[in-house]
Amino acid sequence: MSDLPALLVVLPILGALVSLLAGIRLDRSGWYVAAATLSVQVAGAVAFAADGLSGAPGSYAVGDFTIPYGIELLVDGLSATMVVLVAVVALGVLAYARHAGPRSNRFYSTYLLLVTGLTGMSVTGDAFNMYVFLEITGLTAYALVASGEGGRSAVAGLKYLLVGTFGASLYLLGVGYAYIATGTLNMADLSAELAAVGYASPLVRASFAFVVVGLFVKVAMFPLHTWQPEAYAGSPDSVSALIASLVSTVSAYALVRIVLTVFTPEFLEAVPFARPLLAATAAISIVVGSGLAVAQTEIKRMLAYSSVSQFGLVVAALSVTNATALVGLAIHLVGHAVMKGGLFLAAGLVATGVGGRSVSDYDGLGSRMPAAAAAFGVLTLGMVGVPPAIGFFGKWYIVVGTLEAGAWGLAVVILLSTLLTLAYFARLLERMFFREAPAGAETGPADAAVADGGEGHDVGSGSSADSGVSLGMVAAVLAAALLAVGLGAAVPAYESALAPTVEVLLS
Amino acid sequence: MIDVLVDRAYFVVAFLLLGIGAHMVIGDRNLVKKVIGLNVFQSGIFLFLIASAYVTGASAPLLSEPGPYVSPLPHVLILTAIVVGVSLTAVALGLIVRIYGEYGTLRADLVSEVSDGE
Amino acid sequence: MTDITSLRPLAAVLVSAVAIAPILLSGSRPNVRESWTAVAALAKFGIVVSMVPGVLAGDTYVTDLGSFLPGARFALEADALGVLFALLASFLWIVTSSYSIGYMRGLDEHGQTRYFAAFAASVSAAVGVAFASNLLVIFVFYELLTVATYPLVAHDETDEARSAARKYLAYTFGGGVAVLAGTALVYWLTGTVAFTPGGIEGLASADPMFARLAFALLASGFGVKAALMPLHSWLPDAMVAPTPVSALLHAVAVVKSGVFGIARVVLDVFGPETVGNLGMGLPLAAVAAFTLVVASVIALRQDNLKRRLAFSTVSQLSYIVLGLAVLAPTSLVGGLLHIPAHGFMKITLFFAAGALHVETHTDDISDMAGIGRRMPLTMAAFAVAAAGMAGIPLVAGFVSKYFLLIGSISAGQTLFAVALLVSGVLNIGYFWPVVYTAFFESPEETDEKPLISGPLGGRLSWGRAAVADPAADDHAGADAVADGGGDAYGHEGGHDHAAGWERRKWTGGESTWFMIAPILVTALGSIVLGIVPDGAVFLRIVRLIVAGATGVHV
Repeated sequence: MSDLPALLVVLPILGALVSLLAGIRLDRSGWYVAAATLSVQVAGAVAFAADGLSGAPGSYAVGDFTIPYGIELLVDGLSATMVVLVAVVALGVLAYARHAGPRSNRFYSTYLLLVTGLTGMSVTGDAFNMYVFLEITGLTAYALVASGEGGRSAVAGLKYLLVGTFGASLYLLGVGYAYIATGTLNMADLSAELAAVGYASPLVRASFAFVVVGLFVKVAMFPLHTWQPEAYAGSPDSVSALIASLVSTVSAYALVRIVLTVFTPEFLEAVPFARPLLAATAAISIVVGSGLAVAQTEIKRMLAYSSVSQFGLVVAALSVTNATALVGLAIHLVGHAVMKGGLFLAAGLVATGVGGRSVSDYDGLGSRMPAAAAAFGVLTLGMVGVPPAIGFFGKWYIVVGTLEAGAWGLAVVILLSTLLTLAYFARLLERMFFREAPAGAETGPADAAVADGGEGHDVGSGSSADSGVSLGMVAAVLAAALLAVGLGAAVPAYESALAPTVEVLLS
Repeated sequence: MIDVLVDRAYFVVAFLLLGIGAHMVIGDRNLVKKVIGLNVFQSGIFLFLIASAYVTGASAPLLSEPGPYVSPLPHVLILTAIVVGVSLTAVALGLIVRIYGEYGTLRADLVSEVSDGE
Repeated sequence: MTDITSLRPLAAVLVSAVAIAPILLSGSRPNVRESWTAVAALAKFGIVVSMVPGVLAGDTYVTDLGSFLPGARFALEADALGVLFALLASFLWIVTSSYSIGYMRGLDEHGQTRYFAAFAASVSAAVGVAFASNLLVIFVFYELLTVATYPLVAHDETDEARSAARKYLAYTFGGGVAVLAGTALVYWLTGTVAFTPGGIEGLASADPMFARLAFALLASGFGVKAALMPLHSWLPDAMVAPTPVSALLHAVAVVKSGVFGIARVVLDVFGPETVGNLGMGLPLAAVAAFTLVVASVIALRQDNLKRRLAFSTVSQLSYIVLGLAVLAPTSLVGGLLHIPAHGFMKITLFFAAGALHVETHTDDISDMAGIGRRMPLTMAAFAVAAAGMAGIPLVAGFVSKYFLLIGSISAGQTLFAVALLVSGVLNIGYFWPVVYTAFFESPEETDEKPLISGPLGGRLSWGRAAVADPAADDHAGADAVADGGGDAYGHEGGHDHAAGWERRKWTGGESTWFMIAPILVTALGSIVLGIVPDGAVFLRIVRLIVAGATGVHV
């Protein structure tokens, strides 16, 4: 095996250093360093994925230490998925951030460190190592959230830091319990040792509870989501897109990894509180998250609550632990990351283009910024789960998975979540396309539509020319929309590539 | 009961620290004190893990000493965790400085009151 | 029965989807834009027609686009049932396109580019529903149809239109969720969701409780669009949409996709035999019978013509569902034949209502006294179609209702036969007053005729007899209409209503040929279907479907 898994973690660190050092001499070099680093990262990630998705799961021993003692990196379908997702989304958001800012070299350096943390979380096979990467991710995310101007982002960052650290600490406590019970930290080793200790042991059970609740904070499950809306709404647009699309996603991946690889499905079978804990949290998050989303007037806060609800689907899939649901989980993680990232970018695009951040500002957007509105509309429908967008595929697998597991209540909640999602997105669609733009907005066509030619022609050129919307920003948003629709075609191939990984995870 | 507590005095202290820390983070309005609370909370976890490595009658894990040794791994891990904790504190204090500069107060309730008005 | 691998089903679906881009791009040049619509409509119809002979010979055209989800491939299959629906939708799209041009221009509507683009998308989705080869693919197109028609319902951008559209989305997505749930159940029970003539095998032996649940979910999910009571209330509200939308989508494509879904569920997912064994036919038939009677009663009391037609649609759709639910081969034939029959007749009625709206801005029946003099051809066509709706012989409705009656009686369901007859009487009850008012009354009061001054009926330069050849947009020549249409618009503004409706000639003076021709074509179609049902291809296709599903040749 090549050193690729380790290199993928190291590369962004090097990039961050270079960016920082280059910033001493060249003020504007950060973006180029970051772009080059992430391009290489994407290439490496794809090579890594070719490895991870092409056969049985493998692993890589860091520094050639014997595995249970040294740190192990996992090469399987799920970690490969995450690594590619992280690299691609980071590159896409970078394209957006070039014009949208923040532009300092320190920002790009932190940005790359976040990529390191996320990639590390994706590949690590060691429970304590996971904590370290969790904290690297957290620290950089706090810093990025606070990188906006004004007090709001600083407050949001601090709140995120307090709650996030709390979650990570709980995770550490849980890992501590597991270590006390078994004396090992390697995930594969832990699962064998935990089984040997016995699932009835209070140490093991406490460990599960702490780890899961700690990660719930990071994934932002209700009621531990409180950091999320402010963190997303208070940060710069490119940061909120990156964090919304990746941090919770990779944290959810970590949850899956810990629950399935360390504690294994047998644990869920053996311990009465384990599965209901997951399932109930999931169901509550789905319902309450949607309800809170409906109540929001600020777009980014609404999208944040939408995430609470969507990750409910992911945890619901985890709670039933069968192959179909797991495939759905992986698909939904990817799909949600693409769509939610795209939505945040689109929201940023709109804010830059017409200066609106609240729901009512979206009136008549369809004629003011047709491209942004169309992309927003497509992504919205994707989130609702309208086929053939990727959102539908994840939901389908998860629903079938819950049926196979006989979890009727969950199946009903998941199906109804479609309507709940519609409840908060439909009003936006309506405002964007079927309301006149407010008076004074820089537009003509909505009013000039009486002329039979109809609206739609040469619209938007005016608004994009003078308002700081760059090509990269529009391209990133459109790419997300296209991916959201196009990824569905890859699902069958992806499912079969993931099959060996799922088998190992469930065994 | 008392015996059990005495036997596990380290753990009792660790969890007391956890409780105090959590209470400070949640209950105190002063942002700096919240960060201090977070540190106390983390210290509780660190102590808990260090205590867990203790083996009665064992010596420090140095090859020159006779065995049995206490487990060295938690020490290493907690060193790492402490480093993480220190950097967290640094970031948090940096943010608090900014918030103070922006709002002129360290009280969380006042800050949120002001920022709601934005 | 052979499967022929062919790109034609895919092409039939895609041709109008592909046309969306040029339609959007040529938004500033309406004539170019409309010619794209016309080209796509003709091409679509041509492709569908080209498959008819093969289908009649028992072949199925299949486009397989590879695997989609476990247990389902993303395949489009033009079998008899699919071709039935696709033929209807694509033919009526041609007619509706022409009508839309007359209507939209006549009213100087805003957002016409969006309108025509969404229209093309809807027809694509409808044909996709027709050719779907399994429950998942049909779900995909069913949802896309919802999305594509949403802009059409909300077209007016008034508060009323927005709330109607919101209701429409909520209802139809709710239905979509039920369909998804039912599909998941079927997949879970049998491991496949593919349409199989006579039903999926595993369902007959599956746990009857779950099979019933799956059937109920699927039937109610599709039943939302089929406007089965109590899931119908979006339909009358959606009448705020422009009339061509109501005509094609709410009398043909959307509601028929719901009915079509139920037909697929009954014939190709469960199979008539299994539905009977599960005991699900009777409840469905009861719901349908209830709907068809109650909706007729409600229709009696509607004064707004479009709302009356909407409730008539609710009622007539249940004829189809009833025919499917009774499960006897003859009633299946009746139900399926009613899909095209009702399509032709109802679209005529809506076209007529729309023409009245464009030309005279009359929406309420109480204002229509004597309007037959103003719009003779339109109202004559209306009368023909209304007669068909009521089941009077020589018009399409008679044939299908005859089969329905025979089927219900032969299945021993006399009660349903009675419901059919009662509803037939009610049909006369609510259509005759319209015809009577239009032809045999004159307005007693003339003070408030809602004829509004201003440019009406479209602009002369666009008035072309393009119906015969909508594609030849630029050289069809305006001469054909100039005598009738031109003069009409000239006089409109100064017309004095105190003397009642102005008398217009039967030669087309009443409106533009863009609108008159479609009305006449569909009315003529209703008569052809009624006089020579065997000559028109639909009955042959229907017989083929029923023979395939039940093994009985009717």
